[in-house]
Amino acid sequence: MKRRDFVKSSAMTVFGAGLPVHGALAQSRYARYAGQTVTFSIPAHPHYDAMLKILPEFTKETGIKVDVDKLAMGRMKEKQLLEMAKSQGDYDLVSYVVMWKGEYVAKNLIHPLERFFRNSALADPAYDLKDIIPIYLENLGMVGGPKGYLAGPGAQLYGLPYGAETSVLAYRRDIFAKHNLQPPGNYDDFAKLLRVLKDKEGIGALASRGQAGHQCVHAWLLHLNPLGGSIFDEEWKVRFNDQAGVKALKFLQEVVATGPAGIPAYGQGESNTAFLQGQAAMYLDSTSLAGLVNDPSKSRIAGKVSWALHPMGTRRASQSGGLGLAIPKNAKNADAGFLLMQWLTSKAQDKACARAGGTPVRNSTMLDAELVRQYPEFITFREALKYSNPDWRPIIPVWDKINVQALGVGISEALTGRKTAEAALNDLVGPVTQIMREANYKV
Amino acid sequence: MRTSPWIPAFYLGPAVLIMVAACLYPVLSAFQLGFFDWSMGTPWSDARWVGLDSFVSALSDPRVWSSLWTTLQFAAVSVSVEMVAGIALALALERPVRGTAFFRTLFILPMMIAPIAVGLAWRYLFDAQFGLVNAVLGLFGIAARGWLADPTLAFAAIVVADIWQWTPFVFIMMVAALANVDAAVIEASRIDGAKWWQMTFMVKLPMVMHVIAITLMMRLIDAFRVLEVIYVLTFGGPGDSTEILALHIYKTAFVGQQLGAAAAISVLLLVVVVALSWGALRLSNPLKNDR
Repeated sequence: MKRRDFVKSSAMTVFGAGLPVHGALAQSRYARYAGQTVTFSIPAHPHYDAMLKILPEFTKETGIKVDVDKLAMGRMKEKQLLEMAKSQGDYDLVSYVVMWKGEYVAKNLIHPLERFFRNSALADPAYDLKDIIPIYLENLGMVGGPKGYLAGPGAQLYGLPYGAETSVLAYRRDIFAKHNLQPPGNYDDFAKLLRVLKDKEGIGALASRGQAGHQCVHAWLLHLNPLGGSIFDEEWKVRFNDQAGVKALKFLQEVVATGPAGIPAYGQGESNTAFLQGQAAMYLDSTSLAGLVNDPSKSRIAGKVSWALHPMGTRRASQSGGLGLAIPKNAKNADAGFLLMQWLTSKAQDKACARAGGTPVRNSTMLDAELVRQYPEFITFREALKYSNPDWRPIIPVWDKINVQALGVGISEALTGRKTAEAALNDLVGPVTQIMREANYKV
Repeated sequence: MRTSPWIPAFYLGPAVLIMVAACLYPVLSAFQLGFFDWSMGTPWSDARWVGLDSFVSALSDPRVWSSLWTTLQFAAVSVSVEMVAGIALALALERPVRGTAFFRTLFILPMMIAPIAVGLAWRYLFDAQFGLVNAVLGLFGIAARGWLADPTLAFAAIVVADIWQWTPFVFIMMVAALANVDAAVIEASRIDGAKWWQMTFMVKLPMVMHVIAITLMMRLIDAFRVLEVIYVLTFGGPGDSTEILALHIYKTAFVGQQLGAAAAISVLLLVVVVALSWGALRLSNPLKNDR
């Protein structure tokens, strides 16, 4: 069974069996929960800033109050873990980074969603799970299956994408026109263009993340995937130090050399700012930037940006990741939390959030004529999603440790010139293999 | 009148109980945690007894020792500068001169700011593209530097941020100490013909040596515990060039989910801090002379 078929079939199973048929129930769905308060853990993130604009409508419509606990993304996980470990936690709905889903499920902290969707008193008959972009649903929602974090036999739906993203190339239309340049279609052209832009325009060629830890690994993975590499082979043995891995890291070193000053200290915020403030001619990262580009309070380049697909290496492989929503097992108001989750990811609210600058998770939103007029880049994003790789990084429970404590140190050392690309990656083989062994992988 | 032996116990008892609960309990818990392999978010009943494994692996982990070395360098540089600058400022503003109150208030402001805000402020100040530090250097024709993108400069950046925030603490302690120096002794030294430097280094500072020792100890302890500013400013990078031990413990506990290993490294940190504090108190122990 193909992965996509599996997502379809699981959606059919979830809905086919439990689809509520009585429209009248929808009217009374919220009545029982009116007056309850849903405590919602969210990150400081552009998509959730947009969500906050539509949230008051939920309370108005349902009578369910929402308390938002907004934290910096880096501090969110520890707070969530502490809350979810209690016999009864304070959170009824949590936003999580894709990398945490395996750990949350392994520790039995979040509910599978099937029981909510099967509950005719809760599930909205107009909610169309198949309309949610399959790659997002698989990448952010499914846990189990042969790899543990993708669709397949044994996989279950534990979360819904909300703030999901893929990678696209944004470039300064005015600068490219001035020098008669074309956006790069492949990595060879991309590499040449970095130097050309730096020399001709005198600003950074490509904005990129680079800070030690998760940020620099994310930047490297953006190039590793299209260049044909991956972290592990099918047997979970390390392969990131092969030719593709080294080529991707050398490319990233060139990005640092030709980019805006200070990339080895850039998180996503600094990378966004460098592009939005006109310090870089290109940006290759999350689609979440789209909501900021034409906001004059945050951007100096409004109306000057065009979008293109993530350049092709040996294959097309754009990012899959971002944020999802899940219901803690120790939630006090789990049903009300589900109602909020369902409302936020419904067709109507996905569109409303996109209008407010959020990133859509539904095909119907991406195809909406009015929204496409507002955000013509949706056409490119839809195309990019065809090439989004759900196995973009191994989202196993120990990935966070590998990501931050091993790869995040070595790659950072390569970006500051303390080590060559080859030496940095070769030196990481031992520590990463050790972490895998400690996690009981037979490597 | 003879005091009942129970009276001191009655008065001291509540304070001692609170101290035991607030100080000793967490330390003992850390020791206990060090003997278990436990991941946050799982029941404590799932914790696995690992004996001394965490302590052994902590002591044999080169990353722990490199973090400890970074911490020692950070503490040595930042605390030395803070002590010298704080004492110098206190001596400068010791006498009531015009604007003393204004400057005293100004100098203690950084200490009042939350560490996360300090980290963010300095992150923006050191930003390679838009930072004020590079803008000011640019006025003197000095090329912009990627302060947080270079291992040496990033280390300098965390030291500068710490000095900026904590020199006021030394200053305030020293101002209070100098205000209590007996004026008669100063007057006597003046009559004896002592020069300014003699009066400062041979009379005033020796008289406040207890306060200097206590301040030094408190700053050393704080320098070993500093986390938030560095977390925000560099997250230990580039590479692991600014990964001090407290940040390494944080990453081990909350990223690696190895609470036992993190507790074991915390015990190592505790031993180092106790040793340094003992050294500082050897310099001048106020309790010793009060016996």
